Amino acid sequence: MESNSSLLAELKKLTRDLASHKIELEQARGYLRCILQNSTELIFATDAEGVVVSFSKGGEKVLGYAFEKVVGRPVKTLAQDPESFGPVIDTCQQEGCALALEVPFRHKEGKTVYCNVSLMDLTNREGQRVGTVGICQDITRRKKLQEDLIQVDRLAEIGRIAAGVAHEINNPLAVINEASGWAGEVVSDARGLNSDDRKELEESIEKISAHTRRCSNITHKLLDFARESAPTKREFDIHEVLKETIDFLTPELKHTSIEIDFNFAGGPLSVNSDPRLLEQVFVNFITNAIHAVLEKGGGERRIEIRTIKTNSEAEISVKDNGVGIPEEAQAKIFDLFYTTKPPGKGTGLGLSICQNIVRKLEGDISFESKAGVGSTFTVRIPIS
Amino acid sequence: MNDQPNIRVLLVDDEETLLEYLSKRLLKQRFTVKSTFSGEEAVEAAKEEHYDVAVVDLKMPGIDGVETQRRLREIQPFLQCIVLTGYASVDTALESGQLEAFQYLSKPVDYDNLVAVIKDAYKKRMEIQGSKFKEQVEEIYRAGLGKRGMRKAIGELHKIYGVE
Repeated sequence: MESNSSLLAELKKLTRDLASHKIELEQARGYLRCILQNSTELIFATDAEGVVVSFSKGGEKVLGYAFEKVVGRPVKTLAQDPESFGPVIDTCQQEGCALALEVPFRHKEGKTVYCNVSLMDLTNREGQRVGTVGICQDITRRKKLQEDLIQVDRLAEIGRIAAGVAHEINNPLAVINEASGWAGEVVSDARGLNSDDRKELEESIEKISAHTRRCSNITHKLLDFARESAPTKREFDIHEVLKETIDFLTPELKHTSIEIDFNFAGGPLSVNSDPRLLEQVFVNFITNAIHAVLEKGGGERRIEIRTIKTNSEAEISVKDNGVGIPEEAQAKIFDLFYTTKPPGKGTGLGLSICQNIVRKLEGDISFESKAGVGSTFTVRIPIS
Repeated sequence: MNDQPNIRVLLVDDEETLLEYLSKRLLKQRFTVKSTFSGEEAVEAAKEEHYDVAVVDLKMPGIDGVETQRRLREIQPFLQCIVLTGYASVDTALESGQLEAFQYLSKPVDYDNLVAVIKDAYKKRMEIQGSKFKEQVEEIYRAGLGKRGMRKAIGELHKIYGVE
């Protein structure tokens, strides 16, 4: 009897302990879930084979995948380059933990997300490996900001050098210009030239003049690019500037049968910015669009200019149904001197200048394009 | 071409070859042209003779275009200056309004445009000079100077305006 009652007491104690452990366990689990739900970082757990068994809410945000799409996948397939992520996991298995900086992951939409990754081995009570826990901190924005800063510095430096060179070249260009002009006058006054020779000389002199103009066009654009003046901001209506831009481009549009659609946000679109600089951006966008639809040749030629107003930003986009930009060229279109046009037709400076301007105005420039279908260039600038 | 007035142009640029060709072309179009290769030289030339329009390069060794045109106008207040700049857009010095140029042109200039601007500058010079001259002559008459005093005053005016 006695042993029975002591057994019962034992059982009761065990039950109590179990209940309190269960509560503790639930609390711990709740705590963990809370961390996983709340953290903005990508936190995952894998089994011993490296297959994902848990994936945090932050991870869903960082990579764009829902939990269900990731669970069951080998974790290394999340990385941009699975083969180079494998060794990091191996190190973790050997050393118990591992650290890897700036690991490129692949976002659902294809873009690259950079993370600092910290891995730790998960073992059971017997000390056997049962999996890995990883915490990945998304540093894409920080990295981009750093790169932008380096890029801005580098561009400013290139700009300064180029401006110096351009300025020095303008002087000899001016001499060539006057000398060829004089030669032209001498030829037109000369007697005793046979008509073939005269024609040859006149054509050559005209070529010299035309190409001198081409050079000075480049040097002047470069000097514009490098000019480091602060924007002069004032309040104005973007729609007015867009209409002026189209007026300015009317000669280019003549006899082209290009249809321009305006799709403006209702009412004036007032911003506090630099209208002169923005106009330069619009001229570039629209000129590029005109060239793109003309290059495509036949069919309906359409350019759409759309404006959207949000709480803090004005968004202006120029969409064309022209030739589009081939995928391999898309990464380079903002590079200084990059052009797809034949020699002498483009300077490769337009979009670099636009990007520079938009940065100065604390805005953002982007594009979408498909070869053969068309392009849309968009600029967003803060309203005030 | 025959009805064109005799426009006296002072060219100032350290790029000698440029002025060699530019002056040849302007002379052929019956401008009176004086080439000088520095700001200092231009200032000396302006002390010797009167000019209607000066074409001044902005960047020169020695005194630069800004200072040159300031000194030229001190000597000849009605002289109109056209400033040539290697920069595409107007420079800081120009933006800050230190320079009262008739017009800025970026190098290399379009020759026909330059000629047109020189003619406009000449027209402006004649207008300002004409109205100012008339005003001052009237003032001399009003001042009621004697015959000799008046002749002397008008002589002074002739000297200032460089007209016969």
